[in-house]
Amino acid sequence: MASTEDDRQVRISKIAGRYLVFDIDDVAYIRRQHGICAVFTGTMPQNPTQNVFLGLPLELYAEDAKMLLDRKVAYIADDPLEHLTQLKSMDDETRKSYLQSIKTQRRTAQLVFNEAKAQSMAKHKDKRKPKQPQPPVVVPTELPLSASSADDVAAAVDQEEEGGAESLLESSSSKPVKTDSSTPPQKPLVKEKLPAITPTTSNAMISNGTSNPDVENHTALPLYSYLNERGYFITPGLRFGGDFSVYPGDPFRYHAHYMANSYGWDEKIPMLDLVTSGRLGTAVKKSFLMGGQKPATENSEAGELRAFCIEWAGM
Amino acid sequence: MNKTGHSCSAHIDKTTTISFSQSVSQSPQTPDCLTIANMSADQHLQALTKVVVNNLENQHDWTQVQIHIQDNLPRPLIYGLPPKRLYVHPDEQIDIIKAEKQLNQRVPQEPELEWVLPLHLAEKWSISDFAAVFDAITATPPGGESVNANEDAQWQLWRGPKRGKRILLATVQDDSTVTYYWMHNGLVKPRQN
Repeated sequence: MASTEDDRQVRISKIAGRYLVFDIDDVAYIRRQHGICAVFTGTMPQNPTQNVFLGLPLELYAEDAKMLLDRKVAYIADDPLEHLTQLKSMDDETRKSYLQSIKTQRRTAQLVFNEAKAQSMAKHKDKRKPKQPQPPVVVPTELPLSASSADDVAAAVDQEEEGGAESLLESSSSKPVKTDSSTPPQKPLVKEKLPAITPTTSNAMISNGTSNPDVENHTALPLYSYLNERGYFITPGLRFGGDFSVYPGDPFRYHAHYMANSYGWDEKIPMLDLVTSGRLGTAVKKSFLMGGQKPATENSEAGELRAFCIEWAGM
Repeated sequence: MNKTGHSCSAHIDKTTTISFSQSVSQSPQTPDCLTIANMSADQHLQALTKVVVNNLENQHDWTQVQIHIQDNLPRPLIYGLPPKRLYVHPDEQIDIIKAEKQLNQRVPQEPELEWVLPLHLAEKWSISDFAAVFDAITATPPGGESVNANEDAQWQLWRGPKRGKRILLATVQDDSTVTYYWMHNGLVKPRQN
């Protein structure tokens, strides 16, 4: 188990600016090995309004995502971005291999189709001999077939394989899709006639890791990773009145020790904020933790992080 | 006793506000506005310190209250001896209970000298400001270091080498209310209240 965990890459899906983890093994892994429990956000399709029992996906803070990324145990999967970059920068080799993969899919479709046809033929042969040969009823559901226009698209793709190195989008628009009189009709007919397919996913086209999206808006990262490195677990802090609540171990086992706020190094904090936070922290039996990192200078890269704890003095 | 302490500090505070507003109104006219502003800022700090000292001595019965001035400190600090022990670290408390079980008698808790930082409610401090204060001070105020060192008893170490830096934030409002909050350097877990 340990050997597989060593090279585990957690897939963090970036969807609409949120960082989500959909794999339950990944969720267990980052909780056990990296002290990140984050927040479950998924609800049940049957009862979408209930929010007592939430499940996958797990939503990470930007700080969590950045931390995992920096430790090289995760990658961000941003599919729209990935598609765009891949389509823009697709070279000849990738394009050809993609078209090849589509062709393979079409061959598989043909095989499935033939098999279904043979089966239905045999079925009908067992019964009475029909007066006229009937078309096959069974159509493979996962690979929809269409009429002659789809054959045209298939022909167009076949042509493109011999064609130039235009990108996928350009070629489909510039080249006429419909076979007009000028195109030689015998070529696709002479070759094996494959059914046209509509791919259900574009997985073959994108390979994650080409665009390498980074994580943004992680202002509290210094304090966050400072606490995480010391074995503290961090959850959202609204229930105790701060930015984060900080647990000395897994929240299943411990009460929170601190309610934490992250500040800039020179950010001026009104004294009343400290007094009210200290008061509130003491009222919920926590210590109010404030932290900030010294900004990088020409001489030094990462500045020291200073953290202070405030509690009521009882006088 | 308490009443006089209150009225006295309120009076001082009022004078501070007056002198401060005077400096603001005067500064555009006088050529030496900077020195006047500095002077009134000094006066403000002095008055603030005095309010806290009075409050500590008269309302909270502190003794040996001293004003501590140091070059690398942004303002004067106060230190003094509270009537009873003000802060016991939760881990120290465990050590004390262990020691009491072992010795089969109560361990007396003598008060310790504590640092006090006088602040006004209208002020705004940053993390770097607090860091500068903590860097400039020792964990124990002057005169409090020689509390029985190197003994086997774990609980006694908390008064010496194991003591972390802590400052009592004394926040003053204009009605002479003073609130006291502990500020610890670094991650210090909360007490079990």
